Amino acid sequence: MSDEITFQIEQLNFYYGNTQALRDVTLTVLPREITALIGPSGCGKSTFLRCLNRMNDTITDTRISGSIVLNGQNIYAPNIDETELRRQVGLVFQRPNPFPQSIFDNVAFGPRVLGIAYGNDLQELVVQSLRAAALWDEIKEDLKQPALSLSLGQQQRLCIARVLAVTPDVILMDEPCSALDPIATNQIEELIQELKEHYTIVIVTHNMQQAARVSDKTGFFWLGELIEFDETTTIFTRPSLQQTEDYVTGRFG
Amino acid sequence: MTKLVNRKMTFNTKYRQLLEFVVEAIIRISGYSAVVFVGLIFLFLMQESLPTFGEIQARDLWSQRWYPIENYFGVLPLLSGSLIITLGAALIAIPFGLMTAIFIAEIAPLWLREILKPLVEILGGVPSVVLGFLGITVLAPLVREELYLPTGLTAFTGAVLLAGMAIPTIVSVAEDALDAVPKAYRDAALALGATRWQTIWRVTLPAARSGVLTATMLGIGRAIGETMTVMMVTGNAPQMVSGLGSLFISLRTMTATIAAEMGEVANGSLHYHVLFSIGLILFLISLTVNIAASAVLFRARKRTERLLS
Ligand SMILES: Nc1ncnc2c1ncn2[C@@H]1O[C@H](COP(=O)(O)OP(=O)(O)OP(=O)(O)O)[C@@H](O)[C@H]1O
Ligand SMILES: [Mg+2]
Repeated sequence: MSDEITFQIEQLNFYYGNTQALRDVTLTVLPREITALIGPSGCGKSTFLRCLNRMNDTITDTRISGSIVLNGQNIYAPNIDETELRRQVGLVFQRPNPFPQSIFDNVAFGPRVLGIAYGNDLQELVVQSLRAAALWDEIKEDLKQPALSLSLGQQQRLCIARVLAVTPDVILMDEPCSALDPIATNQIEELIQELKEHYTIVIVTHNMQQAARVSDKTGFFWLGELIEFDETTTIFTRPSLQQTEDYVTGRFG
Repeated sequence: MTKLVNRKMTFNTKYRQLLEFVVEAIIRISGYSAVVFVGLIFLFLMQESLPTFGEIQARDLWSQRWYPIENYFGVLPLLSGSLIITLGAALIAIPFGLMTAIFIAEIAPLWLREILKPLVEILGGVPSVVLGFLGITVLAPLVREELYLPTGLTAFTGAVLLAGMAIPTIVSVAEDALDAVPKAYRDAALALGATRWQTIWRVTLPAARSGVLTATMLGIGRAIGETMTVMMVTGNAPQMVSGLGSLFISLRTMTATIAAEMGEVANGSLHYHVLFSIGLILFLISLTVNIAASAVLFRARKRTERLLS
């Protein structure tokens, strides 16, 4: 049974110092599904996402309890190598953040530090990743050009390519389109649909239409709790809680 | 009402124009005077050092024996002494300074950082005479005993002390540069599975490279021009340098020579003019280093501008 579940999160509590940011979050993420997380600002969506690849470990004075099981392994168990975990669970940030290096070096960064591809294999991996991120056709003439000279939308797809290059199972996306214009947003949404074939995706978004368009399941966070989680169509048509309905219909406040 | 406002405006405009003119003139004069002063210093150095060449040949200057009492004015021992001591100082100060900067900026916990940063800045303010004194009383005996040398007053001792003077500058400037690297780069690297060290080495340091370069240039610049410390601890024997092994004998630098001998020479004598020639050489060296540094920085800045535009 457990091999059909990607993430099994149970009774997750998270604290920054003395303030509790997540409260008893329980959630199951199924493989090859897109899970959208919505909710008002400051309700803990980003915090939750960062728990899933242990990026919260880089913040001092934090505490976590509960369990997160990825493919049958508790990722907070003492024997877990967090660099390997982060290879498996990639993260795309809110603002595109390519390194101030060439396009090639950006995509090759992960494979190089992890030591998973060299020489021609690395070249091929970079090209495949750029193809999979729907960026290849636009930049194939010059992989040596600085990543920061790309448009923001291209930069975000480059960041996705960079994540794909380390061959993850899961891709976490924290409001990946919030810095982008509608056309670039559209391109990323199409890309997400394509990626769904091979990857499990968890996406945080403030854009209700986006959640409704791209996701299979939707979770609604409220003050650090996951108060409703269901099929996306259910959440957007007949949610069981009044708060959820108010939020998804924009009658919130 | 309108009239009142208008009249006030006219007054205001005139006043502001005048102020504008005065401020601009002052800034202009300050700017030009910097150039004028450098030019004057250069002219003065030329004027005082050129007579050297009427009395002795350039070949005599470019020789290996410095013994002014018998009219041997070979500056090579002094030039090579300065260079090897600076090189020695750079070899110690750059890695050590950069590692310290990395430690403070990237690794140390916040409380330690808040102690270390001001401490480094205080170290940078210690007068060089004090360091020289420490060099004579503590470092030199240590060098002599640990390395079994006849004397502890060696080029190496001077290089260590100069490194000690360059390190605070390097640490403080490089730390600022590392600190200015956006957190987003670090997060991106860590999220891709890089270790903390890989992140520093492959992302943070390259992103901060122009600042780090400035740091090393400023640090070494401070070491090249330093006189006091070097005069106190290097033994001041004008011997010729023959490889890195010469770090462990007594050497003399150009700055120390000028400082030590200028007080004793007769105004207008050949010795006097030669000392000025040494000053001219120092001037040209530091000019070259500065031009090279700003050329590198200029290129780096140009590239950044192109990227951000
Ligand atoms: N590094 C941090 N240190 C301390 N508190 C934090 C930190 N990051 C977030 N918080 C707090 O935790 C709570 C949840 O923040 P989080 O960023 O997860 O919310 P979010 O749902 O992602 O909000 P948004 O939609 O604005 O991105 C907030 O109250 C926030 O102030
Ligand atoms: Mg957030």
